[in-house]
Amino acid sequence: MDLTMTIIIMSGVEDGTQLPFDANADGAINEGHWKISIGRREDNVLRLRNDTFVSRQHAYLHWRDSRWWLEDNSSTNGTFIENKSDFFNDIPVKGIVPIEVGQLFRIGRTWLRIQSDG
Amino acid sequence: MSYVPLKDILITARQEAHRMRHYYLGVEHLFIALLEITNGLASTTIAEYGLTPEYVIDAIRRKIGKGSRHRLWAGIPNTPRTEIVLDIAQDAASEEGRDHIHERDVLLALLDEYDNMPVLVLRALGIDIAQFRDTIFSRPSTSDASQPFVKVDFASSFEGSLSKEELFVLRRMFHGYGQIRIEQLLTGGYTTARLLVVTPTQPDGREDAAVVVKVGATDAILDEAQRYDRYVKGTLPPLTARLEEKPTAPESSDLAAIKYTFITDNSGNPSTLAQAITSWTHSYTQQWLEDSLYNGFGDRWWKQNRAYRFEAWQEYDWLLPPVLTLEVVQSDTTPPGVHILRYPIKRQRVNTLQYGDLVMVENFTVQKVNPERNAIQLALGQGSHLTRAYQVEVRGLDFEQEMYFRGEIVERFVGRVWKTRNEQLRNAARSLEPEFDISGQHIVYNELRMPNPLEHYNALLETTIDSTLSTIHGDLHLGNIMIGPQDSPLLIDFGQTREGHTIFDWITLEMSLLNELIQPLASPGWKGAYEIIEGLISLNRGKQPVTRNNELTDAMSIIVTIRGIIARHINSWLEYYLALSFVSLRAMTWQTLDLDNRRLMFLVSALAMNEFEALQVTGGTYSPHTEAPDATDFMSNN
Repeated sequence: MDLTMTIIIMSGVEDGTQLPFDANADGAINEGHWKISIGRREDNVLRLRNDTFVSRQHAYLHWRDSRWWLEDNSSTNGTFIENKSDFFNDIPVKGIVPIEVGQLFRIGRTWLRIQSDG
Repeated sequence: MSYVPLKDILITARQEAHRMRHYYLGVEHLFIALLEITNGLASTTIAEYGLTPEYVIDAIRRKIGKGSRHRLWAGIPNTPRTEIVLDIAQDAASEEGRDHIHERDVLLALLDEYDNMPVLVLRALGIDIAQFRDTIFSRPSTSDASQPFVKVDFASSFEGSLSKEELFVLRRMFHGYGQIRIEQLLTGGYTTARLLVVTPTQPDGREDAAVVVKVGATDAILDEAQRYDRYVKGTLPPLTARLEEKPTAPESSDLAAIKYTFITDNSGNPSTLAQAITSWTHSYTQQWLEDSLYNGFGDRWWKQNRAYRFEAWQEYDWLLPPVLTLEVVQSDTTPPGVHILRYPIKRQRVNTLQYGDLVMVENFTVQKVNPERNAIQLALGQGSHLTRAYQVEVRGLDFEQEMYFRGEIVERFVGRVWKTRNEQLRNAARSLEPEFDISGQHIVYNELRMPNPLEHYNALLETTIDSTLSTIHGDLHLGNIMIGPQDSPLLIDFGQTREGHTIFDWITLEMSLLNELIQPLASPGWKGAYEIIEGLISLNRGKQPVTRNNELTDAMSIIVTIRGIIARHINSWLEYYLALSFVSLRAMTWQTLDLDNRRLMFLVSALAMNEFEALQVTGGTYSPHTEAPDATDFMSNN
């Protein structure tokens, strides 16, 4: 599967860092479904080691049906997505929710965003 | 004019990072440091948008959140984005042949980098970034801090006085006018904010139409402006009061002001409904409430009527005093025997807590910071779980040691119970000098036997209610309704405007009518409260109100109209009595309300609980209101 994407870190000590991912090299692919794990532990595809509010295995990003989905993995401090109608009231992620390119999401205290690769 | 150099900005930024336990230097800290420069470029430009630096700073802190005490690295490194922003600033300085970066370079660089949290926060607060940048770019100096002089005059109808601080904010608001005349101080509000009718005069002597100005604590005023933008703007009938301009929030003051302008024909000053109603006939008032107020605003507000099932505490707990007042205990570990409060709250457990008990609260959100009293107010939950319920007050904090900001999520907090809600309510009831026993399950007064609100409110908070939800004003008392030209209704004060229980506004209005119009007609003391209760009882039975006093009976006809409006928005009168129990119990605790009115409010709460229980026990076979739908339907839903 020829699919690439970039995650931009939007807050915390790594704010401004761009992390490119390639479906052929990073994470797991299963029948067109690309899964990227996010967490503090070393074996995560997207590793957030500098945020103590991030759980060891915190959340997953999924590429499925030509769009992105965000899943919280029963994390201690929660996964949140940007609330378009009220910027200061983040929406907690329960189960799997769709997430748009450009929409902010928060893992622990770290804000992130999926960048469109054009 | 000299700009603050980068090295001074970095000192403040590092302090901010440290206070937030971030241990890195991010663009948010740089931006906050820029906002903290007194009369700096950032803060003065923000003020032009009706915001204060403090408000923006707290918004940024809330979005980023505080870090933990655990440090994972040494020193305070710059984030990659900070490096980028400083590079852009350096380029700008070099282009002008300067070696040193200053305030203006950093601010412009932050705006130009664009894709950062401070900029996202500014946008969320309604600031057009391109325009904001242009304003800063076009301003070479920040030397303009002179106090504009506007002459202030007081009309003979004005009673009271204004503080120096209030006058300062008013002068700032009417900058450019030659003179303003304070026509009157509007009363009837329950907040500490001041509502003034002000007539501004142009330098050439022309008078503009009178406006209503609210002066109050900066946070509350800025919140009101945000709520207006979110809920009110675009839902108003053509002829009404509007917030046309951003608030005036001078950086050097704790006060701010907003201005309600009216589309008026200049035919005189607006008055409040509290004033107007005394000269109207009761039948005109009834017709006005129905046609002008209810129908004028109803379509976009109360008539939305979306089905809403809630437990009473979700909508009404916050009206009551804090469930607990805690005295802070310094503790890094979990003390043995501590009671833990976290979402979801077990009410029964909270109720067993007593003076001196150790309590640990987890995951609360800071609602209010009160530096004068060294206290903060916490509400349960966070994010969309945040409810206004279960407020906990924490006192005895050291703000020098630890910083708190509005919207902050507090992971844990240990304190000792200083006061419980039960105690606060009981003290409030005792201060009414009741002529009956308030220690039992029921109160018995004359031939009336009713539930004792102090003993019954807790169980009521657990009740599930099928109701409706709509945009509500949130504080619809007689002082917040102004009368404009052609007696058009002008609503003001949107500090509590929200999505909420539809009939809340009308119950608030009913209580306000009882307090301001009806109670003054009754006898003094408990006797008067009892007279009104008699009238309400007949009304609750679906009859015309009957009291021992004709004037009183006539005035209560207005309550019939209010009840008629409420009847259109309820599934059962259970819903009404439930809400009424809490709205009146809250008013009983208001020190701004006179003693006889607080007595009345206590009895109204008892009567509401009585009707609620009667309606519930008989499963609807006994219905106080003949026009009410059968209450059995409601019972089967439980």
